[in-house]
Amino acid sequence: MTGSTARVDHIAPSRRLLRSSALLATLALSGCDGRQSVLAPGGADARVLGDLFWVMLGGAIILWLLVNGLFFYVTRINRAALSRRFANGLIIVGGVIFPTVILGALLAYGLSIMPDQRAPGDGLTLRVTGEQWWWRVEYWPEGAEAPIISANEIRLPAGQRSEIILDAGRVIHSFWIPALGGKMDMFPGRETRMSLHPEAPGHWRGQCAEFCGASHALMAFEVVAMAPDDFALWLAAQEAPAAPPADPAGIRGAEVFTREGCGACHTVRGPEGRDSQPRGAVGPDLTHVGSRLSLGAGTLGTTLEDFETWIAHTGAIKPEVEMPAYDHLSAGDLSDLAQYLKGLE
Amino acid sequence: MRRDPPPQSDPDRREFREEAESLWRINLAPATWAAHFVTSYAIAAVVCAKAPALLPHARLALLLATGLALAVILWLGWRAWRQWDYRTTGDYTNALGEAEDRHQFLGHAAVLLALISAIGVVYGTLPVLLLESCR
Ligand code: HEC
Ligand SMILES: [Cu+2]
Repeated sequence: MTGSTARVDHIAPSRRLLRSSALLATLALSGCDGRQSVLAPGGADARVLGDLFWVMLGGAIILWLLVNGLFFYVTRINRAALSRRFANGLIIVGGVIFPTVILGALLAYGLSIMPDQRAPGDGLTLRVTGEQWWWRVEYWPEGAEAPIISANEIRLPAGQRSEIILDAGRVIHSFWIPALGGKMDMFPGRETRMSLHPEAPGHWRGQCAEFCGASHALMAFEVVAMAPDDFALWLAAQEAPAAPPADPAGIRGAEVFTREGCGACHTVRGPEGRDSQPRGAVGPDLTHVGSRLSLGAGTLGTTLEDFETWIAHTGAIKPEVEMPAYDHLSAGDLSDLAQYLKGLE
Repeated sequence: MRRDPPPQSDPDRREFREEAESLWRINLAPATWAAHFVTSYAIAAVVCAKAPALLPHARLALLLATGLALAVILWLGWRAWRQWDYRTTGDYTNALGEAEDRHQFLGHAAVLLALISAIGVVYGTLPVLLLESCR
């Protein structure tokens, strides 16, 4: 409508400012809840960090008001020269004692919460390796001799602290689940560690927080905290070999998978010692990909269409991804492949 | 043969020597603070990386180092306070450029530096007190 554009120009600048700041505030506040927010903590560590944030924010506001209030007082309310005694007192109290005490208290508070962030785990250890642009995940229950391998999803037992060992393939990444705790960088060839303690079952999102190449922004993951019993069941299911679907489409899909050589990069674990595919490790383990909550490291959902889209248009979805796009596959092959993968639960 | 410049008068010389000395002295409190900081940092890093079992001893040693550093700074601060001589002169800023003013001003500056160094040492000790492990 031409009329409306003309009207905008008539809005007084102050009202326009008001409008745009309201818009900004809405945008800013929409980050406050949801699955990937430090302000909606679901883990013990994130709660501590959230408290730290609010304390610092509150303190900053009070200090701002005090300093600017004083400024206002001496420039607008009482412009007369201050007495020397008062000025000296102000410098000593406001400039020396007050900041020393405040900074000392904040320092003590910060130090007192630091060890919690690195508390040892209660038993379960995860090993997460940052790849371009996905996450290799290994679960090591207490006393395990071999890992249970998964990818692009982190599941944790709720009410417990789990240890997370971090590493990286070729470049630096950073592992961050804002709702559960602080972030930790991942370096090629150097292990770092952190631990997380989700308080109750829940569902969040994590994100790579260190620029790592073209698809850095598309390097995310789903995070699920489960009741310990559910978690144990889930982990046992992940440990089991793949149970390929037995319907005709699924069986045809498995053949396409073999024919196209997907196994050069991906593993679909067969029953003990009887793999039907080679165990490629260039890409994510697909043994139970049908039970995951996202594809392409948090980039797509997991409907049959999502599987087809991913396989046929990989590079269009994730720039420079290290998986070729299989756009030469016939529609039938694609949908069979999707049936097969979706059936790998 | 060239002749030396005429010797300065004795009081001038003495005064110059003293000012040079107190110029040195005003650096001592920050230097103590720096030494304490570097010592704490190095001991904590080496002990935590190489011999975490020694941590309790390291903490004790660092607390002693803090005591020592604070004592040194206190002593320097007290000497500087006397040099400033605020109590008797009542001159806070020593704005006049006389020799005596310079003398007292250096004392004033040294008092402030001692104060901030003491705060720095105390802050630097808080981790020793509050962090009981290498975490
Ligand atoms: C050259 C190695 C390579 C080949 C060949 C390959 N992939 Fe991939 N694949 C990858 C990589 C690497 C990723 C991870 C991409 C990312 O998210 O950054 C991936 C991701 C996937 C995912 C998503 C997994 C997840 O957890 O998000 C699926 C599904 C998949 N590939 C299926 C296939 C199928 C089906 C084929 C054969 C038609 C195939 N891939 C061939 C390397 C390969
Ligand atoms: Cu990354």
